[in-house]
Amino acid sequence: MLVLTRQTNEVIMIGDAIEITIVSVKGDKVRIGIAAPHNIPVHRKEVYLAIRQANIEAASVDREAADKLHALEDLIVKNRGNV
Amino acid sequence: MKIATTRFGDVDVPESEVYSFPEGILGFSDIRQYVVLNNPKGGPFQWLQSLELPSLAFVVCDPRIFMSDYKIKVKEEDISSIKLYDIAGGFVLVIVTVPKDPMEMTANLLGPLIFNPKEKLAKQLVLSESGYTTKHKILKGDEQGSVKD
Repeated sequence: MLVLTRQTNEVIMIGDAIEITIVSVKGDKVRIGIAAPHNIPVHRKEVYLAIRQANIEAASVDREAADKLHALEDLIVKNRGNV
Repeated sequence: MKIATTRFGDVDVPESEVYSFPEGILGFSDIRQYVVLNNPKGGPFQWLQSLELPSLAFVVCDPRIFMSDYKIKVKEEDISSIKLYDIAGGFVLVIVTVPKDPMEMTANLLGPLIFNPKEKLAKQLVLSESGYTTKHKILKGDEQGSVKD
């Protein structure tokens, strides 16, 4: 892994199109600005991994459970008032 | 057009109903083409069936069926890649994980799918700061799985 030392407001270029800016450093927290083309998704790694894992789990649907899906409609509760 | 599916055999779908995911779905980024199929036995759940991989199909549903106030916040650039310039012109489905006991099924509210029916483009959003989780429990029961960070 390439390791670079940068100061606040200094920038790293990745190729021609991706800019990483060190916005601020406060204790052990670093704020980073990322400018990337629209076709390059940028995610926090833990969020990316959680969604990828959920997708992989969702892709293997239990066959018997899938056959019962239609019957679950009545059990679905309207979940109001959060977020 | 006829598409091959592991779950439903050969299915006839209008070519106009095929959605392209230019970025794929996380974990399946090579698979770009899907159709939304209704569950053969009815009910609120649908299937997002891959065209390229007959064995790949996700259970999906409209999140408002179980959470009437589900909201997504997107930036213009999040949806411009699917040429959706007015969010009202799109629709949202969430991926549902169906384990052996279907009562334990969960929905991924953190990574909803947004569709642009006019352009037949779609993508998986990542709602980083929404407080939603990837394992929201859909059916009645304890609150486990919908605990927030």
